[in-house]
Amino acid sequence: MAGLRVVKSRDEFEGEIFESLAIIQGSDLPPHAAGVEFEEIGKSRKRVDGVQRVTGRATYTQDVTLPGMLHARVLRSPYPRARVRAIDTKKAEALPGVRAVLHRFNSPKAAFRGEETIFRDEVRFIGDEVAAVAADDAETAVRALALIEVEYELLPHVTDLEEAISDEAPKLEDGGNVFDAGSLKRGEARQAFKDADAVVEGTYRTSTQLHNSLESHGAVAQWDGQILTVWESTQHVFGVREGLRAALLIPLSQIRVICDYMGGGFGSKGGAGKYSIIAALFAKQLGRPVRCVLTRHEENLAAGNRSATLQKIKIAAKDGRITAIDHTSWSNAGQGRWVANPTGPTNTLYDFANLTTKSYRVVTNAGSLSAFRAPGYVEGTFALEQAIDELAERIGVDPFTLRRRHAASQRDPRTTKAYSLKRLLECYTIGAREIGWSDRRAGGTRGSAPHRRRGIGMGTQIWGGGGGPPAYATVHFNSDGTVILRAGTQDIGTGTRTVLAQICSEELGVELDRISVRIGDTEGPYGPISAGSLTLASVGPAVRLAARDAREQFLGAAAGVLEVPRTELRMERGHIVSKGARTPIAEVSKKLENNTVIGKGSRWPNPESLSIKTFGAHFAQVEVDTLTGEIFVEKVVAVHDIGRIVNPMTAASQVQGGVIQALGFALSEERVVDRSLGRVMNADLEWYKVPTVLDVPEIVVRFTDRPDRRANNLGAKGLGEPPIIPTAAAVANAVANAIGVRLRHAPMTPPRVLEALAVVP
Amino acid sequence: MSLFSYAKPRALGEALRLLKNGTIAIAGGTDLVGLIRSGLARPEGLVDLTGIDGLRGWTREKGKGLRIGALTPLADLETSPQLQKLAPMIAQSLRDAATPQLRNMGTVGGNLLQRNRCWYFRDEAVPCWLKGGTRCFAAEGENRYHAILGAAECVMVAPSDLAPALIAYDAEIEIASSIGRRTVKLGQLFVTPSGRQRKEHSIKKGELITSVRISDAALERRGTFLKAMDRKAWSFALVSVAASARIKDGKARDVRVVLGGVAPVPWWVPAAHKLLEGSALDDNSCLAAADLILASAQPLRDNGYKVTLARELIRRALRSLVA
Repeated sequence: MAGLRVVKSRDEFEGEIFESLAIIQGSDLPPHAAGVEFEEIGKSRKRVDGVQRVTGRATYTQDVTLPGMLHARVLRSPYPRARVRAIDTKKAEALPGVRAVLHRFNSPKAAFRGEETIFRDEVRFIGDEVAAVAADDAETAVRALALIEVEYELLPHVTDLEEAISDEAPKLEDGGNVFDAGSLKRGEARQAFKDADAVVEGTYRTSTQLHNSLESHGAVAQWDGQILTVWESTQHVFGVREGLRAALLIPLSQIRVICDYMGGGFGSKGGAGKYSIIAALFAKQLGRPVRCVLTRHEENLAAGNRSATLQKIKIAAKDGRITAIDHTSWSNAGQGRWVANPTGPTNTLYDFANLTTKSYRVVTNAGSLSAFRAPGYVEGTFALEQAIDELAERIGVDPFTLRRRHAASQRDPRTTKAYSLKRLLECYTIGAREIGWSDRRAGGTRGSAPHRRRGIGMGTQIWGGGGGPPAYATVHFNSDGTVILRAGTQDIGTGTRTVLAQICSEELGVELDRISVRIGDTEGPYGPISAGSLTLASVGPAVRLAARDAREQFLGAAAGVLEVPRTELRMERGHIVSKGARTPIAEVSKKLENNTVIGKGSRWPNPESLSIKTFGAHFAQVEVDTLTGEIFVEKVVAVHDIGRIVNPMTAASQVQGGVIQALGFALSEERVVDRSLGRVMNADLEWYKVPTVLDVPEIVVRFTDRPDRRANNLGAKGLGEPPIIPTAAAVANAVANAIGVRLRHAPMTPPRVLEALAVVP
Repeated sequence: MSLFSYAKPRALGEALRLLKNGTIAIAGGTDLVGLIRSGLARPEGLVDLTGIDGLRGWTREKGKGLRIGALTPLADLETSPQLQKLAPMIAQSLRDAATPQLRNMGTVGGNLLQRNRCWYFRDEAVPCWLKGGTRCFAAEGENRYHAILGAAECVMVAPSDLAPALIAYDAEIEIASSIGRRTVKLGQLFVTPSGRQRKEHSIKKGELITSVRISDAALERRGTFLKAMDRKAWSFALVSVAASARIKDGKARDVRVVLGGVAPVPWWVPAAHKLLEGSALDDNSCLAAADLILASAQPLRDNGYKVTLARELIRRALRSLVA
């Protein structure tokens, strides 16, 4: 193929910059001209798959039922740390209906995240996989689990973050329990603290938040002797395929992964899980399809979480400006090898001249972290934005004003590169107007009853979301004039199918309802993980290029069919338009018979010299009952600067969902672990409190909605994570404004509010 | 889950005959199904009561008071406008109980006999004292939701919202068995798990609650039910308070203050009722009563907030009776 080139691209994922390669060909499209009238882009469109979803026809992994399918269930460690000495499966295998049992003494090696096998010899948390059973039905599999006899040698354990840091804790790894996970130094913080007018210090704590996706993790695997087909609820079909290849050593060409519909992931479904490998191992061994789907309880023990953090912030001001900050964070990673960085916002959000930040990963005998919607940034922003408010109060400056002074810079303080587009100050202005910031009073105002106080607070968001290569799409004309768009992606629930169809429709000039979107299948072109707020900004531009390619080819063919010069033709609303004539596309494609036009598009690299970020600000108004400790969030205003909005309706849904999940983090969600037993006491939806519909306040959603023309040909950036980042900080600042006491521990439950008010005996 | 037999009798007498060792009665099943699934109940047989006529719905007859059938769905009581007028605390207590789906399925009898929600008790793998083990794990463990009052070997709390409201109306329950019938004060149904008594109520094997009764005199009381939760719906009470009194010439008579979520049983202190007799329910007397009720509180590591919360909810509930 002519004109292929390999270039470097710098992409951001979960707060870190990565350098990658991109293969490019031809030329990228320029961004849409200013003032162009769109047919589809920027219009609210109902989800193209909405009817399938609400009528129950959409097939989720949990719905997949195949002839002869077996059910696999997992035996999980009942101890937080133990050596598996011996396993006796005789009784389990004797149970009628049981087909096979896998465990560390009989399972083939299956590499998983740096370990050689999926069944550890030393189990390291309650819920760690010990064995698995495949049986004719789920009930039999569960009964068989109870018949497996395991000899454990118990080992000392630690589950709590602060206990694990202390010297008395058992050392879980050769290097201890605490590991460096990054640091940054800028300027001369030490001197700046000495020279400061005011210094405030605070210790902040955030709790472990569980994802609780509506659909739990799970896979159905089928092996036909040649092809391993796996249906999986996943954010990355290609990631699952790679995970299965690494574990089972099957060539990629013999693995197909499908995720047609999924019930959420929030970062926890980034690749193959042990359940996927278990299903695949059984399917190969037994020659029958195998379903392995986690229960809600298993989900909340062993499917990941947002780590609890301990954070210390020291911040200083001089002459009305912030002059230094020191931010240190420890995260409870469980057995995770990776850890999110809560100091990320401190490193990148404001133009702090002098800073030192440090981040530590702490290992414990608890379920491991996995990415959870803006990992690290939710936790870090909760601490950073409170520290700024506290400093503002100390020096007598309005916190809004103090932030503005440090948020205006058009240069990324970490890389010193210019931003492709930054309209954070506009977010501030819009938000302040919507919440009525001018009515905010230092010390809060009277609430709706004598014992109620009202307050207003704000928090700021920074995140990546620029996306990047590789991502591919094809656009295929059928002989009846309908179109099939294939893209390497999957819909985690955000409305990916819909917005890609809109982009395709816009570029092609074919109506939305004539375009069918096929995603979530490794048989299609490659695409990235649906995480890091990168889907639209990665895949959208590729779809646009594919549609343009298809359009150009089709018009070329139409010119021949209609015997009109190509230059006089254009495509518009399902028609080929020439001077004075409108021919339906279907008429042309019928004449082409099955001579097929296939357009191809790929994502171009990001501009080398620019920093691509998303920005936003949330404002909250709360009432606090000072005698019962209840917090009533009355209103949240969420303003985001994410470039072009392709579909205002799905974008608003994204923001509402983020705010609601953030309110859970802020007010009620907390994994509770009994330290001596090492058990999660609320691995359920009864005591683990996600917000209910009654907990949702009025949410006002606003966008700056300016295309980021320098970011990519669509001008759009990601929105998955931005709306969960600043809400908790805004609510905490509003609470502090209302009651004059700062809540430094999330979630801010009634007991913690009463404790902070010092009214608990 | 193990296998069990299932029977759906059409009459109470038949149901009582079927209730023997190893069988458990089921109505809405909103608690029992969870207990079975988590291995905490292992019935050999279930006796489904929902086919029995005559135990569903409520009636009011002058001179005989209010009678509520034990199989009445909670939702029916919550949504009846007449009952809201007659005994407002009942609807108030159900409004924030569980969820609409659970209130549609759950029945009055089942609500009163539901087992506690302690997360150690509910965890099949934890051999806690109430399940026959040697110690209470919550007492030294994670106890933010546990008892501040009246606990012995076990620090669980009475979970029902309906029970404090009914007790504040001095409700009685009718209990049937194959031997006959007996009537007890609802307040006497609940027992503090202690000593050899590792149970939460005094119903014996083979007995069924058939109805709840409230006297005409008690229905003359005003009532307020308040519940604190850690989110706005679908939560058991951190603390609940049912307060009732007959108000005459601005003075309170027959005052009742009954708390849920603070002790292994619905909690009240007769001396506090006496203290408030004849008072105008001003702030000071309400707080004095609250302090009397909470005088013996012994908070655990994580639940001291319940004392603060209970004191304030008692004040608010009592004040609202004269507001």
